[in-house]
Amino acid sequence: MIKYTIKRLAQSLVTVAIVATIVFLLMRMLPTDYFFTEDQLMKLTPEQKTEQLEAAGLLDPMGEQLLRFYGQTIRLDFGQSRRIQSGVPVIRVIGDKFGISLRLGCIALIISLIVGVVLGIIQTLNKDHILDHVGTAYTIFVNAVPSLVSYSLVLVFGSKVLGLPPIYSTRNPGPSSIIPIACLTLASIASYALWTRRYMVDELNKDYIKLARIKGMSSKTIMVKHVFKNAFVPLVQYIPASFLYTISGSLLAERFFSVPGMGPLLTDAITRYDTNVVQTLSIIYASLGIIGVFLGDVLMMLVDPRIKLAGKGGTR
Amino acid sequence: MAKEPILSAKDVEIQFSLRGKKLTAIRKCSLDLYKGETLAIVGESGSGKSVFTKSFLGMLDANGKIIGGSIMYDGIDLSKYTTEKEWMTIRGKKISMVMQDPMTSLNPLKKIGKQIQESIEINQGIKGPQAKKLALEMLAKVGIPDPERRYNQYPHEFSGGMRQRVVIAIAVACHPDILICDEPTTALDVTIQAQILNLVRSLQEELKMTVVYITHDLGVVANVADRVAVMYAGQIVEAGLVNEIFYDAWHPYTWALLSSLPQLGVKGEPLPTIEGTPPNLFNTIKGDAFAPRNKQALAIDFEEEPPFFKVSDTHIAKTWYLDPRAPKIEQPKSIRQLRSKMEGRR
Repeated sequence: MIKYTIKRLAQSLVTVAIVATIVFLLMRMLPTDYFFTEDQLMKLTPEQKTEQLEAAGLLDPMGEQLLRFYGQTIRLDFGQSRRIQSGVPVIRVIGDKFGISLRLGCIALIISLIVGVVLGIIQTLNKDHILDHVGTAYTIFVNAVPSLVSYSLVLVFGSKVLGLPPIYSTRNPGPSSIIPIACLTLASIASYALWTRRYMVDELNKDYIKLARIKGMSSKTIMVKHVFKNAFVPLVQYIPASFLYTISGSLLAERFFSVPGMGPLLTDAITRYDTNVVQTLSIIYASLGIIGVFLGDVLMMLVDPRIKLAGKGGTR
Repeated sequence: MAKEPILSAKDVEIQFSLRGKKLTAIRKCSLDLYKGETLAIVGESGSGKSVFTKSFLGMLDANGKIIGGSIMYDGIDLSKYTTEKEWMTIRGKKISMVMQDPMTSLNPLKKIGKQIQESIEINQGIKGPQAKKLALEMLAKVGIPDPERRYNQYPHEFSGGMRQRVVIAIAVACHPDILICDEPTTALDVTIQAQILNLVRSLQEELKMTVVYITHDLGVVANVADRVAVMYAGQIVEAGLVNEIFYDAWHPYTWALLSSLPQLGVKGEPLPTIEGTPPNLFNTIKGDAFAPRNKQALAIDFEEEPPFFKVSDTHIAKTWYLDPRAPKIEQPKSIRQLRSKMEGRR
């Protein structure tokens, strides 16, 4: 297990390094003009421009720049933001937004996990009856209708009928997050319900359920002791990843409700040529993805005795 | 065998609804089971062997229903049971079952020992360490070495034969009166088959169980059964002691079944097979269900369903051949030779 973790960690570091390098090189392939604001481009003489670029180290050979970038990254020095919040360290820029996304995302995740799994169980228990069809209709609706349309529906319902604030505001974070959170849960409730139902129905049709009935177990006990646990195992794998992804925020929902979260940050940084922010975000996203999958595997191993991550498992 | 039957099924009819149509899988089928005996039910796929016996413990699929007849067990008519609660008084405790495939019969995420213990806890009301002790005893009883260690292992750590032993341990953990083995060795290696059959036999003696084998392996039948019932198209067509069925069969379907035994094959010639297909059970069957596949069928076979004729006190066959008015029909040569051939092999 420890050996496996170390090996996996080393692989992950290599992956993150590759991602960081590619992003770095891509950013450097942009014309140097991006370094200046429109104003500066008009006013500065070419000599002044060269001077500034040299001072920023952007005219050094690519290898040298890359090594410098590696050195800084290893020291966890991600530099300063130049456009989004000029002169503020990147970590602070991200840190402020990160908190908001994390809070909204976690609440949404917990709600959708609970509601989604419960909905899936209700659907399974009423398989092919009215409640099951209602659940399926919901799942199809959410997946078929473009998010912006369903967000608008929630927005209209929430603000007109329930009188909730339609747009997120930092001064009033509690009530104003209700609508964004509701929108965030829409799709994930549907997907948790869908998968829960699917895995539970799968389990219900297996032979060991028949043997459990032959043993004299009641359907209720079978549901609790056999079906639910077994159906939950494949779901467990995705939970850490979905948890970590909440940090990255939702581009669409955050834009739609003007939430100052992480979601729009990457696209903003790219369009405004804020290289340091782009590089840092790429490294963070890549790490989150890798850690999420890894934790999912570890969790899976803890709940499923058939899975041994290291070495050769199987029959003794 | 003049004893009282332990279970007596009479004129059982079972119907399935499939895509709006009604399929009669079991057509007025009767069977008596006696205490301590081993009965083998043979017949081709789809003849209703499994469905018939599953109805004894209420394990029919949701779209299947007993629509007629009675299944008397211990003074109760099981065919009238509808709720799970009623069946829970029978399943596991009184009548139990071992299924075909041990690879899928166990919950892959639950410890072997716990799965046996569960059965003891539900049916005997014993909890905790005491139930664990019984589960360990059960593991030892079905021949699993080192039960203490095995108790904490999961199904994937067991081989197929070992898993079938565990399934058997679960099935008999609460000492049922009747154990139904639905093709218990089909999914197993041939070398393991004999071990499993021996295990069932020794448990049967120890626990005084009645064992019903469902199989299409006549070799298994010859080895384990006291009595044999031959099923065709949802009915028992012939039943008798194992020797009577093997050496003095009268129903043409039993003949056809026996003639396709590989032991009777002549070198260089293809093995005989039963031509045609079983009748479509969506339709009502007129006369003897086997008549269309029987080359020597009598005219009446197509008109009227034969009753059971007694060949001996223990042997009955449902064929017009045994009617005194029927033209003289002899058992096929190969059937008459069966005894010498089979004995010659041993």
